[in-house]
Amino acid sequence: MATDTDSGYIDSFGQVSRTTGTVFRYLLLAATMFGIVTLAVLLVYVANDAIRPLTADLGWHLTFFLTLVVPTTVVGGYLARRNVPALKLGGMVVGMLAVFLMFSGGVAIVFVDIIPPLTGLSYVVGLLVPAALVVVLTKYEQQIPFTLRVAATGAAFILSLVGVPGYFHSIPEIVRQLPVVPADWMILTLVLGGVAAVVVGQYVARIRENTTAGLAAGASALLLTGLAAVVGPTLGVDANAAAVVTSVAFVPTLAYAGGAAVTREQERIGLLLAAAVVVGSLVGAFAVDALGFAGPQSWVDWQFLTSAHSGTAENAGLYPAIGGSILLMATVAALSFPLGVGAAVYLEEYAPDNAFSRFIDVNISNLAGVPSVVYGLLGLGVFVTYLGQPTGTVLIGGATLALLILPIVIISSREAIRAVPGDMRQASYGMGATRWQTVKNVVLPEAFPGILTGTILALGRAIGETAPLIMIGAPNVLFNLPTELTSKVSAMPLQVYAWSSLFASEDFYTKAVPAGVVVLLAVLLAMNSIAIVLRNKFESEN
Amino acid sequence: MSTDDLETDLTRNTENAPRELLTRSFFFLCAALSVVTTLSIVGLLITEASKFFTLTAPLMGVTGETASIVDFLTGTTWQIHSQEFGVLALVSSTLMVTIGSAIIALPLGVATAIYLSEYASTQARSVLKPALEILAGVPTVVYGFFALIYITPALEVVFPSIGTFNMLSASIVVGIMIIPMVASISEDAMSAVPDELRQAGYGMGATKFDVSTGIVVPAALSGIFSSFILALSRAIGETMAVTVAAGAQAKFLNPLNPASYLEGALPMTAAMVQLLTGDITGGGLAYRSLFAIGLVLFVITLVMNVISDYVSRRYREAY
Repeated sequence: MATDTDSGYIDSFGQVSRTTGTVFRYLLLAATMFGIVTLAVLLVYVANDAIRPLTADLGWHLTFFLTLVVPTTVVGGYLARRNVPALKLGGMVVGMLAVFLMFSGGVAIVFVDIIPPLTGLSYVVGLLVPAALVVVLTKYEQQIPFTLRVAATGAAFILSLVGVPGYFHSIPEIVRQLPVVPADWMILTLVLGGVAAVVVGQYVARIRENTTAGLAAGASALLLTGLAAVVGPTLGVDANAAAVVTSVAFVPTLAYAGGAAVTREQERIGLLLAAAVVVGSLVGAFAVDALGFAGPQSWVDWQFLTSAHSGTAENAGLYPAIGGSILLMATVAALSFPLGVGAAVYLEEYAPDNAFSRFIDVNISNLAGVPSVVYGLLGLGVFVTYLGQPTGTVLIGGATLALLILPIVIISSREAIRAVPGDMRQASYGMGATRWQTVKNVVLPEAFPGILTGTILALGRAIGETAPLIMIGAPNVLFNLPTELTSKVSAMPLQVYAWSSLFASEDFYTKAVPAGVVVLLAVLLAMNSIAIVLRNKFESEN
Repeated sequence: MSTDDLETDLTRNTENAPRELLTRSFFFLCAALSVVTTLSIVGLLITEASKFFTLTAPLMGVTGETASIVDFLTGTTWQIHSQEFGVLALVSSTLMVTIGSAIIALPLGVATAIYLSEYASTQARSVLKPALEILAGVPTVVYGFFALIYITPALEVVFPSIGTFNMLSASIVVGIMIIPMVASISEDAMSAVPDELRQAGYGMGATKFDVSTGIVVPAALSGIFSSFILALSRAIGETMAVTVAAGAQAKFLNPLNPASYLEGALPMTAAMVQLLTGDITGGGLAYRSLFAIGLVLFVITLVMNVISDYVSRRYREAY
């Protein structure tokens, strides 16, 4: 493609003017940059309006410049010249910490405010009991017929989670009625710390190829979470928050950094960059506190993130909308992931080459082009008018958004499944595997990173959608966090829309809306960077 | 296990074993859901919209207020309170946003595609392509806010008579939003042009400029056209940016008159949002007009998608 034509040495062929070509080339470059530069300028404007860096004391800027910017630039510059892979590792650790911190905020909203920890624990126990049965049944796979196993599994889950009304309490109910229950922070430590311990333990066991190391890492992850919850209150941090942030953000980042330090000797110097950022921020924060410099009077502050809408822009907050967006995302992911992957598997692995398959194929690409507002009408007409659901709930909002992104999930999953080499399928069939066994053991594991990337990108699209939510009657102003699938829901973009059109005033335009836009874009950036990291990892492995 | 058992075990037919049947049916239902979705959209829009028109409402067993289908399709006044439903007032504003965004996005998108496919180094591509994806990834309500708060005041310097809500700023942000769509589909088409054609051009003494404009673009024309149509269909269906930036007052404007871009009007999608954020009653005429607009919008975008598909299939140069 990129053939070099600038062969200026051959003069005897006559003169060819290079002016047109050069002008054309730079025009093309300018056209390419136009949209990118415009958006960048707009983003700078909105960030300036929201965070207002110029309202901070000069001393504040100077302190952070000395403690954070200078060391980071020095280390980064050194690594960029000497050891680029190490720089990448350092950047990865910093990015991971930032994204996971944001993620832990979301987890805290879900597992502390939306689902009370005791209720969460009761369902975890209620799911663990039948899950144990499934493990046992899988062990005796050969002896028990498949239909019986499916029936037994289904019955176990229903009995455990629903119980038999009047005769037999469900396990979550029994747990909730226990006379002595642990404190909230203990439950969070046990459940979230437990999950973190399992994940970290497996990761360490895999990279060290050593089960004992994995067990030790898992145990220390659990201990660290408990320690944070105990020590947190003495430092003025809420025990629940300490447990969540430690288990979701600090433990995984530490495990990744520690793993890299042990196994990647060439690159581990890159961890210095992460250390410079973390230590620099902490030292800077202590220094400005001690020296009494005031920080920027940002509109994106703790008050904005934790309070509900208000009539005045200064007191307005995004909290119910953040919680609503999280619940909507969970619903959308739970609906669109299995359905989308299922459809993709059918079309790639099962579908016979007939007219109906081709019709589904064309149909999906047309559905991807249907405007989002029409999906909103679909939600309004089908779920509200015909099925009689109340307007604007988490459930129908999630279902409508799931239908909206389903074509995107299907198309990207199909691409990922198509990329699995046919040889691997043939090998599996050659071993006598059935079609489902091939799908389960070969195709899906192999295509999983690609499917995950596509799904996260599609979720990023869903989280920014406003029109379908307006159509299904989601309220413009919501003062309480939605706690159930049937409660009314708001979402971040919907709140931004409400502020910028229904509460249109100079005050909201310059304060609440820019702050909302910055939070929304930060969440999107975090989601997209996860998807891009996954994609790069996936591509480099193949 | 004895050998007999092993033999029956190995030769049993597993195609319709319960597990295979169960999983296959599940996957089939997932795929069939997309057909159900399409059918529901079409069915819902047609039944609800037909309750709106005088001509078809009796067939649906609806009594009460209805609107004439001729007035709907040819009227140029959209006033819900005085029961005037002339969709052309909305269609004209949608057309304006489409034309305005096309003027921005089509040339810039094609130029971007040529640059990425013919000129950019691998390293530049690896930076520029994700950067362009970000343009399409920013939520549209954010674009609407940008148009209202930052772009309109900037335009006011050049055009002092511009309204707070105006079609120009809405067209600009919609144009920026659809650049990546034009660029990525066109670039795919250009990358699919075989290298032999380029080499033949260079062999004839053509410059890179000649090869790009004289060989690559004509050879990729079907893909470029199909990208145009898809991007315009996206611009027509675009909702939140125009709702926030274009205004709330329905007006019939001449799309070919540049001065009318300084005024605000109400595109179809924005009208639908406005109908729902206003206080309309569940089964009233205004509520049913929502589905009539929805049907018009759906038909327009569907026809454009089908045309785009047809163009890229029918006129594709096969190599």
